[in-house]
Amino acid sequence: MTDVKFIIRTADQTRKAEVEMQRSSIGADIVQAAVDNWALPSDTDYALVNVTTGRSLVPTEMLDENFVQAGDVLEVQPVLVAGHA
Amino acid sequence: MDRQSRYQRHSLIDWFSQATVRDARICVVGAGAVGNEVLKCLALLGAGSIDVYDFDRIEVHNLTRSVLFRVTDIGRNKAECAAARVRDLDPNVVITAYTGNILRDLDLASFSKYSAVICCVDNFEARLRLNLICKLWQIDLINTGVDSRNAVVDVFPFSQQSAQSVACYECTLPPSVYQRLSQRYSCGGLKRAAFVEKRIPTTVITASLAGSLAASKALRLGPGGALRSDRIFLDSISGISRPSELPVRVDCPVCSQFPAPFRKRPVRDLQAELARLRAEKGNSDITLPESLILSFQCKKCDAGEGHDAPLFWRASEHDSGLANCRACGAEGAVEIQITDRLPLDTLTKSGVRSLPLPFALAASETGTDVLVLEKESECD
Repeated sequence: MTDVKFIIRTADQTRKAEVEMQRSSIGADIVQAAVDNWALPSDTDYALVNVTTGRSLVPTEMLDENFVQAGDVLEVQPVLVAGHA
Repeated sequence: MDRQSRYQRHSLIDWFSQATVRDARICVVGAGAVGNEVLKCLALLGAGSIDVYDFDRIEVHNLTRSVLFRVTDIGRNKAECAAARVRDLDPNVVITAYTGNILRDLDLASFSKYSAVICCVDNFEARLRLNLICKLWQIDLINTGVDSRNAVVDVFPFSQQSAQSVACYECTLPPSVYQRLSQRYSCGGLKRAAFVEKRIPTTVITASLAGSLAASKALRLGPGGALRSDRIFLDSISGISRPSELPVRVDCPVCSQFPAPFRKRPVRDLQAELARLRAEKGNSDITLPESLILSFQCKKCDAGEGHDAPLFWRASEHDSGLANCRACGAEGAVEIQITDRLPLDTLTKSGVRSLPLPFALAASETGTDVLVLEKESECD
């Protein structure tokens, strides 16, 4: 399986890195790596968006060529749940 | 004041249709921070009909984020208070407040009338339920969420004829959400008695961003309409907005279990319908929209209920304290039978006349034919 090199960053853009991962990696793997490496709050859930293509990545979806191209920017966004209190 | 004068400025906007806004029938679930902003926008735009649901009461800390509430409103029901303020803003708007829990008291007969449902709640459980109902009833769902910095608005255009290719809310959820939900609930749906809910601080800035965008999406303002599910993520500090398409997830718990098209069948006689289904489908399972407690029994003293006839108690109305025996006092000794799927034989033999749920689903083996059973009172 080939690798793909892309940019990953947080939604507030305070953290950013170029990474190379196997195309067999899934969205959930990338989010977990970001949470671990950047010590993001572990009591928050995160979604992954390819901001280059404007498409969210399904957590169980692999980094298929149709979804992620070399050089694309992927953003880790918090899943927002508040709004009532 | 006559309508023409009131909405005169709107009439100058070439893409704005006051008639479309007036004809909208919007359901707003949650009248808290985002709900206030949604209702404010709908009222000022002249939305024709609004139903607002909230069982919660106003507390002093709500006042920093709720434009419709005043100090004198503390202790009032949020939906009733918000509805009264909407009438003040525009008496032309027909608004009805519902003070019960929509997930428990949902009137599905009237649910079908909505052109859109706007979800302004603060928990995943309510979002999951509204997502399922809107998908099955093919009503557009607008989901909102905020934190202290960001706002998000998701649009799920379930009313589209191509609804099979429209992603639902659960298509988007990471597995960590389900892990978190499993921490909150013990066996099959009982809330953990000692679980402390995390509070997420927010401000009116993010609530107003989410609320105004959600109202716009629900009214389908502007040219064209959503044909696919999408999300707009707004950063209130940088001002950056990130729109993204939400793709259908092949293994989505909802879309894979209930693929469109499906049929809704109002049921006046549940027993007769169950017998008919039994004859048609064999002893297949009925899927329930939430878990029910069938029985419980203490392993120490044998005290229990539901062994002669299933209890059909909603698990969401009980917590893990049920595992402590009320008869002998033994902690954690009670075995509880909970399920969200029931064989047709169990239901037909139990002589059940009604289920404490607004609907149930029976899927055929092909998985493409889902029946929705509505309660008798909702068929009129």
